[in-house]
Amino acid sequence: MSEKKTYTYYPGCSSEATGMHLDASFRAVMPELEREIVDIDDWNCCGASVGLIVGGVLPQTVLNGRNLAKAQEKENRDVITACAACYLNTHGNNEKIKQSAKLRATVNEALEAGGLSYTDDLQVHHAMEVLVNDIGMDKIKARSTNPLKGLKVAGWVGCQTVRPFAATDEGGNYDTFEDPEFLDDITEACGAEATEFTPKTNCCGGSVAVMKPEKTLHLMKTILDAAVESGADVVSTPCPLCQTNLEMYQDAINKKYGTDFNIPVVFPTQLMAVAFGLDAKKGAALHQNTIKAGKLEKMAK
Amino acid sequence: MSDFEKKPGVYLCEGCGISEAIDMDELEEDVTGGFDFSVSHCRRAASFCTGEGMEQLKKDVAGGEVNQAIIAGCSPRVMTREFDEVGAQIIRANLREQVIWTQPAGTEDTLMFAKDNVRMAMAQAENSTPPTPHESTMVSCKLLVVGGGVTGLSAALEAAKTGAEVVLVEKSDHLGGWAAKWSKVSPHRPPYRGLQDNPVPGLIAEVEANDAITVKTDTIVTSTGGMPGKFTVKTTNAGGEDEWDVFGAIVVATGWRPYDTAKLEYLGFGKNDDIITDIEFEELAANGGIKRKSDGKAPEIAAFIITSDPDIMPYSSGVSSVVAIKQAQMLVDANPDAMAYVIYEELRAHGTTEDFYREAQEKGVIFQKGTVKSVGDDLAITVEDDLLGQEVSMTGLDMIVLTTGMVPNSTNPDIEASDKGNSQLKDDINPTASFAKPGLEVLTQNDDEGEPAQPGGPLLNLQYRQGPHIPVLANGFTDSHYICFPYETRRTGIYTCGPVRRAMTIGEAREDAQGAVLKAIQSMRASEESSAVHPRAGDLSFPKFGLDICTKCRRCTVECPFGAIDEDEQDYPILNPTRCRRCGTCMGACPVRTISFDNYSPVMVSEMIGAVEMPDEFEEKPRILVFACENDAYPALDMAGINRQQMNSMMRFIPVRCLGSVTLLWISTALEKGYDGVMLMGCKSGDDYQCHFVKGSAMATERMAKVGETLQSLMLEEERVKVEEVSIADSSRITGLLNDFGTEIEGIGLNPFKM
Amino acid sequence: MTAQLPETASRKYDLKFARWVRDNVYGGGKMNMCMQCGTCSGSCPNGVEMDVGPRKLFMMVRAGMKDEVLRSSTLWECTSCYRCVVRCPRGVPVTYIVQGLAAVAAREGYAPKIENASFARAFWWSANTFGKTDERLVTMKYFFSFGFLEGIRKSLANLKIALGMVKAGRMHIGMPHKIRDSKGLQAMLKKAQEIEAREG
Repeated sequence: MSEKKTYTYYPGCSSEATGMHLDASFRAVMPELEREIVDIDDWNCCGASVGLIVGGVLPQTVLNGRNLAKAQEKENRDVITACAACYLNTHGNNEKIKQSAKLRATVNEALEAGGLSYTDDLQVHHAMEVLVNDIGMDKIKARSTNPLKGLKVAGWVGCQTVRPFAATDEGGNYDTFEDPEFLDDITEACGAEATEFTPKTNCCGGSVAVMKPEKTLHLMKTILDAAVESGADVVSTPCPLCQTNLEMYQDAINKKYGTDFNIPVVFPTQLMAVAFGLDAKKGAALHQNTIKAGKLEKMAK
Repeated sequence: MSDFEKKPGVYLCEGCGISEAIDMDELEEDVTGGFDFSVSHCRRAASFCTGEGMEQLKKDVAGGEVNQAIIAGCSPRVMTREFDEVGAQIIRANLREQVIWTQPAGTEDTLMFAKDNVRMAMAQAENSTPPTPHESTMVSCKLLVVGGGVTGLSAALEAAKTGAEVVLVEKSDHLGGWAAKWSKVSPHRPPYRGLQDNPVPGLIAEVEANDAITVKTDTIVTSTGGMPGKFTVKTTNAGGEDEWDVFGAIVVATGWRPYDTAKLEYLGFGKNDDIITDIEFEELAANGGIKRKSDGKAPEIAAFIITSDPDIMPYSSGVSSVVAIKQAQMLVDANPDAMAYVIYEELRAHGTTEDFYREAQEKGVIFQKGTVKSVGDDLAITVEDDLLGQEVSMTGLDMIVLTTGMVPNSTNPDIEASDKGNSQLKDDINPTASFAKPGLEVLTQNDDEGEPAQPGGPLLNLQYRQGPHIPVLANGFTDSHYICFPYETRRTGIYTCGPVRRAMTIGEAREDAQGAVLKAIQSMRASEESSAVHPRAGDLSFPKFGLDICTKCRRCTVECPFGAIDEDEQDYPILNPTRCRRCGTCMGACPVRTISFDNYSPVMVSEMIGAVEMPDEFEEKPRILVFACENDAYPALDMAGINRQQMNSMMRFIPVRCLGSVTLLWISTALEKGYDGVMLMGCKSGDDYQCHFVKGSAMATERMAKVGETLQSLMLEEERVKVEEVSIADSSRITGLLNDFGTEIEGIGLNPFKM
Repeated sequence: MTAQLPETASRKYDLKFARWVRDNVYGGGKMNMCMQCGTCSGSCPNGVEMDVGPRKLFMMVRAGMKDEVLRSSTLWECTSCYRCVVRCPRGVPVTYIVQGLAAVAAREGYAPKIENASFARAFWWSANTFGKTDERLVTMKYFFSFGFLEGIRKSLANLKIALGMVKAGRMHIGMPHKIRDSKGLQAMLKKAQEIEAREG
C-alpha cells in the first residue's frame, strides 16, 4: 500500500458556520479514501465574491496570499478546499501570483507587513477535482460498503465549483463548465441513482440571494422544480452556499409561489459518508441539515 | 462540314447496376433493329471505362472500324478523360445517373427511358462530326497592361516572370497610382497583423529594372481592334504621338478614384479643417505625421466614420472598413494615449483582415455601430447607436476622418465620352431592362437631357460592333462571372483585375493581378491552338455562318454576350473566332437557323428531339422535353440521380451548351412531335447571374417570353413551356421541379398533336 | 484601481472613460475585444433584474457613458456565476470586469444605498476586522445599514431562518470567529491598499 497522500486543507469561513456539515463530512470521508488532510494554521477569509468590491483587487489577492503563505508552512505541494468560493479565490489568485513575478513581489510586499511571504508554487485543488483526478470513482465505489440503493439524487453542481476553472489545465481539466458529470458519477459510485436533472450548473443567486432573496427566488425555484420533476429524494450539491440557499429559502419560495417544496439538500460528501457506513451524525453530519434527509438517514448504519 | 466518314459503334455498358435495371437484350435489339442509322458494332460489356470492355473499344477504334463511339452508360460528366483518350468522337447516352438511379428497376417505363436516351445519342452521332478548328489567328504573345498602379505593376512583373514580353501603359506621368501615397498598408502577409511597409516603391523599382517590361507613362490606349492573339492597339502619349503595336492579350488594371468629397458635406466635410478624408489622413501621415490641419497638434481623440449612405454610394465595400481599421491603428501607434473611435453601420473585416480588426481592438480602438446623424462645426458627432438603441453624442473630438470609398475606373474620366459607347457600356444587348441599376438609370436620364452620359471615355476604345467599352455590371465595376471566372470580362482576351473589378486592398489587388495574368497567358495559348477559353476551355468547335440564307438581321452580332461577331461592309456577320466562347447564343438567336457548330446544331438537336419514341395518345404516357444547361442544371440532375431521388418517367433530357443556344425551332419541333411540355433549365440571370456565358439564360428568358404567341397560334396552352433557373446545388430541388411540372402537364392534358 | 477617474462632471459622455476602464479595471484590457454578440447577456441568470445586460454595459463604457455605467444596477445584480466568462467567444472576463466596475462605483460614491454595496461593505468590514466572515455580524450590519427600523424589520423577517440555523448548529451564539493574528492581517491589508493607491 502506498503512503497516504496528504493535502493541506483550507476549510474557509463557512466550515465554522453554515457549511459545518460539509466540513464535517469531508473530514470524515477523506481518511476513508486514504487521503490525509492537514489544516492551514490560522487561516483567514478568502474575500468571496464581494470582498474586492469594497476592499479592492490587490487587498483581496493579499487575503489569499496570506492563506497561501500559511499553507506553504505545511510543506505539501497540494492545497485542497471544499468550498466553491474559497476555491475560486485561492486558486485564481494563486495562479495569478504564479504567472506574474511582479504581482508576487507586490503581494509579498504587503504580506511582509505581517511578517509573511509566499515563495512556493503550491497547487490549489477543489475537493471534487481531487475526487475525480486523484482518488477516482472506482475507489469511492469500492469503499461504498453501504450502497445507497433506491436513493434518487438530483446532482446540482452550481457555478463556481466548475466555473471558470474546471475545464482549464490549471483547474485539472476534471469536467466541463456547462454539463459536468462528476456529481452524478459520485452519486452512482455511492450506489444511489442519479436522476435526469438538467439545470446542473444553474445559479442559485449566490451572495445576491443572501442579501436580496426576493430577487433570486425564481432562480432557486427553477432548480427545485426540476429536482422534484426528476423524482429526486434529495438534491446533492458540492457548494456550501448553494446548499444553504436552496435549503433555507424553500419556505420563502413556497410562500411566494404557492408551492410545497420540502426537499433535503445534501453534500456529496454526506452521501459518501453514509455509503461508507459512517455514522449519520458523526460522519455524515446529517443532523445539521435543516430539512431532514430522512430516507438517507435511515440508510445510515 | 468536313469530309469525315462516319463509322459509328454503340457500346452498351452493363455495369453499375444497369443490366439489373434494364433488359439489355431489348435495348440492343432497339439499337440494331429499330433504327435506320446503321452502326458497325453494338457491343456489350460489364464496363467500358476499364478492363476488357475498354480494350475492345480501343481495338475497334485503332483498327479503323469505329470513329464515333456511342457509349451508353454513365453520365457524360464522368469518365471523360478515359474515353477521350480512346481517340474517337465520343457520344454519351446517360443511363446510369439519369435513368436507373431515378427510376424503378425493371419496369417498362424505365426501359423506354433508356431506349430513348440511346436513340437520342445515335441521332446526335448521325448529325455531328468531330470539330475542325478554325485557322490560327496567333500573331503576338506580347501582353499589354493598362494602368501602372499596384495592380498593373504586379501584373507586369508576374507576366514577365513567366517569360512574356510586357508593355505597361500608364495615364499619369509616374507609376504607383494611389497606393504610392500611403505610408503604411494593411497587412497582406502572415501573420496578418500590424501595419506593413508599402510595397509600391519596391514594385516600381522592380518594373523599371526589368528588361522584359516597357513602361510608357503619360500614355493612354486610343484604339483596340482585332482579337485575342492579335489585338491591334494604338497608344497615344501626352504629346499626341501615336504608336501601333500588336498584343496577344490585354490586362486592364486601371484601378479606382476616391469618391466625390462634395457629397460628404452632410458629414461635415468642408465645415472644419479637422474634418478630413481618409486620403488626406494618408497624406498627413506620409508628410510629417498625423497632425491637425488647424493647429498642428497631434489628435488625442479621433473618430473614423465609415460612410455607408446608399443614396451616395450604392455599395459599401470591405476596403472602407479595412482603411478605417488601419488608420485608427496608425493613430494609436503614433500616440498610444490617443483614443480612436471607428463609427460604422457595416463593418466588414473580410478574410484575413479579421485578425487585423482584432489587433485594432487589442490596441484599444473602439468600434461603434450606428448611423451618424449630424457632425457639427465643433466636431461634435451625434450617432444613433444601434447597439445601445439610443442617440449618443460624442464631443471633445480633435479630428474626424471620413472614408471615401472606391469608384472604379471602368472608363477614363479624363477623356470625353464617345457618342457610340455611352449606351453600350452596360446595355449592349437585349434584354436590357433587368440589368439597369440606380447608378446607370441616372446615366440614362442624363442621356435624355443631352448631357454627357458617361463619366468618361473608353479605356481601350474597342473597335467592336458592340461598342468601345468593356461592359460593366453593378455600380460601374467591370462585368465578369463573379464567382467562377472573376477575371474574364465580356471581351475575351481582355482581363480586368484590381479595384476596377471590385473594391479591394493592396494585398488582394496583387493576388488579383496574378490571376488575371494567368488567364491572359491561357488565352494566348488557346489562341495558338484555336481553342476556346473558359468555360469551354479546349473546345475546338466554333460557330459557322451559312451566309447564303442570312437575312442580315444582326441578331447574332447584337446578342453575342462577348462582342465576338462584327459586321462587314455589307452587314453580314463576321466572326472573330478567338473572341468567341462557343456558347451558341448566336445559334439560338438566328431566326433562319443558319448558324451551327460541327458538333452542335439546330438540326442535330431537332433530330434528337425526334428520335424519342413518342407513345400514342391511348397509352396516356406524357413526354416532357427538358433542355438542361450542361454547366449547372445537368450536373444538378446527375447529383439528384446520385442521391437516388426518384423522378417521374416522362422526362427526356437534352444537354445544351447554354440556354442562350436554345432556338425556338426546338420548342416548336418538340410540340409538333407530340411532347406534352417543354422545360428549359438554366442558370440564374440578373445582376447576380450565374450564367456561365453571362447573358445566355437572360436571353432565353427573353425569347421564351415571346413563345406564348406561337403556342396560342397552335391552340396550345402557354403553360406547356417553362423556364426554370437552377443552381448546381439544387439537386434536391430539381426533382421537385420536374415532378411538379409533370403533375401540371398531366392536369393540362395530352398534347393534341400527338399521333 | 484607485487611479482618479477623469474629471468629467460637466460632460454627459466622456470618450476617455473607456480608456480609463481599460487601464484601471481588472480585466478591462480585454473589454475592447467584445464584439457585442450578447452571449453574456443571454447567459446571465439574473439578467432580468439588471437595468442593462453586460453586453450593453460594455457598449456604454465604450460610448463614454460613465455616469450611466457606474449607476447601473447591473454591477450589483451579478451573482458571480461565471457563465458569461466561460461562454464569451472573445475571451472577455465579463464577471471580473463587472465586479471591477462595481468596485469603482462603490469607491466613487455612485452606489451609497445600493443593497449589494452595503452587503459588500459589511462583508469587508468583517474580513478586515476578524480575518473571517461571521455571517451573523455581516448580516446584521448589512440589515442595519438601511437604518435602525429597517434593520429590525429585516432581522425579524429572517429570524425563522436564523433560528433554524442555530438549531442545526450551523450558526453559533457567542463571540465571533476570529483569526489569531488579526493585527498582522490588518497590517497586510492596509499595506495592500497603500500599494494599490500608489500604483493605480
